[in-house]
Amino acid sequence: MTAKQWDKVATCVFWALGIIAIAILAFIILEVLGRGLLTALNPKFIFGKPKAMGSGGGIFPMIFSTLYLVVLAIAISLPISIGAAIYMAEYAKKGRINNFIRFCLDSLATLPSIVFGLFGVALFVTAFRWSYCLLAGAFTLAILNLPILLRSTEEAIKLVPDTYREASMSLGASRWTTIRQVVVPSALPGIITATILPIGRIVGESAAIIYTVGVFVRNVPLNPFDTAAPLAGYIWARQAEHGVPDWKTIVNGGAALLLIMVFIIYFLARWAGNRYQRKRLLGAGNK
Amino acid sequence: MSSSDGGIKTAISLKSARFADGEYWVRLVMFACASVAIFAILLIFVFVLRESLPAIRQLGVGNLFFSAHYNPQTQNYGMLGFIWGTIFTTFGAMIIGAPLAIGTAVFLDQVAPERISRLVRRGIELLAGIPSVVIGWFGLILLVPFLRAVTGTSGFGVFAAVLVLVVMVLPTITTLSAETLKSLPGELKEASAAMGATRWQTIYKVLLPSAREGLLIATILGMGRAIGETMAVQMVIGNARAGTFSLFGTTSTLTTRIVTDMAEAPSGPPRSALFAMGLVLLLLAMILIVVIRLISRERRPGR
Repeated sequence: MTAKQWDKVATCVFWALGIIAIAILAFIILEVLGRGLLTALNPKFIFGKPKAMGSGGGIFPMIFSTLYLVVLAIAISLPISIGAAIYMAEYAKKGRINNFIRFCLDSLATLPSIVFGLFGVALFVTAFRWSYCLLAGAFTLAILNLPILLRSTEEAIKLVPDTYREASMSLGASRWTTIRQVVVPSALPGIITATILPIGRIVGESAAIIYTVGVFVRNVPLNPFDTAAPLAGYIWARQAEHGVPDWKTIVNGGAALLLIMVFIIYFLARWAGNRYQRKRLLGAGNK
Repeated sequence: MSSSDGGIKTAISLKSARFADGEYWVRLVMFACASVAIFAILLIFVFVLRESLPAIRQLGVGNLFFSAHYNPQTQNYGMLGFIWGTIFTTFGAMIIGAPLAIGTAVFLDQVAPERISRLVRRGIELLAGIPSVVIGWFGLILLVPFLRAVTGTSGFGVFAAVLVLVVMVLPTITTLSAETLKSLPGELKEASAAMGATRWQTIYKVLLPSAREGLLIATILGMGRAIGETMAVQMVIGNARAGTFSLFGTTSTLTTRIVTDMAEAPSGPPRSALFAMGLVLLLLAMILIVVIRLISRERRPGR
């Protein structure tokens, strides 16, 4: 075969690979939504209470647990991430300590989520005697999400043009005043956008929370020290233990609902990201 | 930013950092936030190690880490079979997943028209966000029955786990590889094309070799994902307590054994043995990160 023919073959293969990648996605979405969409959109399912026995159980406390967990975990990790990102972007000099912090962040990012789960069990559930509760899961997830949250926060802070800082400092503002009144406010839309993807990860996470938060509740958990059952973990437990006659319907519906939630978060992140970028470009154009 | 601007900025910042009131404390608080990462990884290591000590002490290193005999009824907690299960499924996923993912990355960067490339990229980002329980459920209701019908086995087992893992590592490896390819200087491609090379010749003689380290790092991070994946694999691997060399045998990986047994493991060696598996996972992850650091350090002076 000539080089040109090889080139044609290769082009076909690459197209096939790209199509396979998209086909996998389409297949999963269609299959999961096809089986569960009707259940997932049924108000009785969404707003109903789960049943330990008998069919017809809903999943409202699970949806609530997931959202509650998101709020707690972000409330814990966002301030730390902003502080750390300011340090990394504004103060840290290139050196050993900075390098070591990056190494630790990379390690945290690669650590399997089940290891975070084990750690949460050992520290919060057992050593602190909190038992299974939302707060134990929230702290576990806050640590799990720290690397990605910090990285995207840091990027948002680095995107603030240096001219802003120089203008503020030339007016006599101290470094901290500059950070507090100029850098963080201009980076804020970016920081908010940065939290959306970690939220998606918290919604989908199950290995780190089934043994720290719990897998079944009958009522809506209100106290952070209550046992709860985020949706992803509940789906896993239902397919593992069955328990109720209509477990398959519940798992199908729950999986479809989880998929929808994650997709909404993804598109929200895209939309916010685009809007933020456009605004920045316009802002730069006006100057 | 021009260099003179930078000089002025550092001069100002040095002055303000030294003389402003309270600046020292602010800096300390920020540093404390940054060191949470150090603190967290240390704390995780200490707690997982502490919890695995009873098993190490009572069973001995040999019986715990280097034995494949795992049976809580007879007080045997050897995890070698599960370490093998992790290695087996991970390499299986890499053999299928890495070429697929790197090929897709080449497609995105070199072959596809701009609009299609963007569409596929979005799709892959979306795939990365699908929760592992959903992918596991997909595997359980579709892949397992399919494999059962085709192979005549139960359908559960290593191969089903490998396929599920391919889906999970595909976005990681593709995204990182595409980034690496994109960062290559455009002159490379132009020079090759100017010499009369076809696109395929340019890709495999110029682009892929120049991107070698980046592609390797992408694959290693994909491996990290495969080693750590828990729920999706747990739903399709069959959760047998013995190791297997068969592609269609049921077995467990380190992560799936932890999840399967954690709920009912009484404290003492049974529970502690699961933490010891977590310790092995932690060490595996650290090894991967060190390898990546070594690769990227080697790359830097050359460029």
